[in-house]
Amino acid sequence: MSNLPDVSEIVLLQRETNELVPAELWDAITDKNLADWEHAWTPELLQRLLVLAKQGVAQKHWPQSFHWNWRDKAQSIKGLLDRQCFSVVCDDMTQAMMITDLSRRAQLESQKTDHLVYVDYVEAAPWNRSELSGVAPRYSMCGSVLINAAIQYSIMEGFKGRIGLHSLPQANGFYANHVGMTDLGLDADAHNLRYFEMTPEQAEEFIKKGG
Amino acid sequence: MKFEISREWIEAKARSEGDYEIGAGLLGFDPSVDDGTDGVVVAEESRLAFSRFVALSRRNLRLSAEGLADYADVELAEVMSIESDLSYEPEPRTVHQLAHAFSVDQRKLMELSGLARPKSPAFIHEAVRYAARSESLEELSEDEMVALEAMVAILSKR
Repeated sequence: MSNLPDVSEIVLLQRETNELVPAELWDAITDKNLADWEHAWTPELLQRLLVLAKQGVAQKHWPQSFHWNWRDKAQSIKGLLDRQCFSVVCDDMTQAMMITDLSRRAQLESQKTDHLVYVDYVEAAPWNRSELSGVAPRYSMCGSVLINAAIQYSIMEGFKGRIGLHSLPQANGFYANHVGMTDLGLDADAHNLRYFEMTPEQAEEFIKKGG
Repeated sequence: MKFEISREWIEAKARSEGDYEIGAGLLGFDPSVDDGTDGVVVAEESRLAFSRFVALSRRNLRLSAEGLADYADVELAEVMSIESDLSYEPEPRTVHQLAHAFSVDQRKLMELSGLARPKSPAFIHEAVRYAARSESLEELSEDEMVALEAMVAILSKR
């Protein structure tokens, strides 16, 4: 984990005020991000899971990412050249994190075996997930920012914007409808998670000015 | 690496993003949520070790059950159920709080408690072996102290 990330100035939408507020996109997951995950994300997540448990919601209906350990994952990829980390920080708090992998190849017929940026892991902070709280997120646009970054990273690497990922079920609509990726269906080799992929044309459409 | 994501782009995209969830990650998918039957034997063993670990750690801190509940900011009923009822499934928050109170790895304690699928069943077997060395719930004997220290070491490995 680098403690000196490159910082790109961005904005997020603060939902309470409906205003755009300054934020940062870091090209790393640092000790500060992991501390935020341990001391802010995890207790908040567990509180929200406690509510689900008390409501009698079966564990199989809980958000699948509730047991993700970002510290373990970041440690396991330390030093790997084909892995890249990203984090979104606003109001001095980590709002979302992502890890990408350069070692995978495309599955879509039109670009089969071409290199792409594969999104290993992406997650927003619990307070930015209406699924957990039932209320609007504190900040919106973390997902769009990270996908935009993954596309730009793909272009920098010469992969023309191609990206791929396995979506958790609750996020299928985001990748299909908002991001505009191609749905390649349930992947039996990936616990039947739905695999999405983006072509260079789709990538250009998503990141073009004017949205 | 620097990235160009303009305010205008955010404004345009915000109109359609809404409250979508964004989670993605094959490696994070928890097969234990799906499988319902696999790992039952491991879960029973690990609950025993978890129960013993909590009891030993509490006694090592010279705390009553109520004292531990206060110290770890968890419910007293949960502490008592964890230590006495091997079929009891603890709340995720409680395991998180106990991991912090006992200064052990949260993920490992989650696995030991049965709330998360163990990456390595061998770790559970090792913890059970040490847990079985503790028999009474009185002051820790020298053997029990050694057993507790070994379990803490196991649970603290990253």
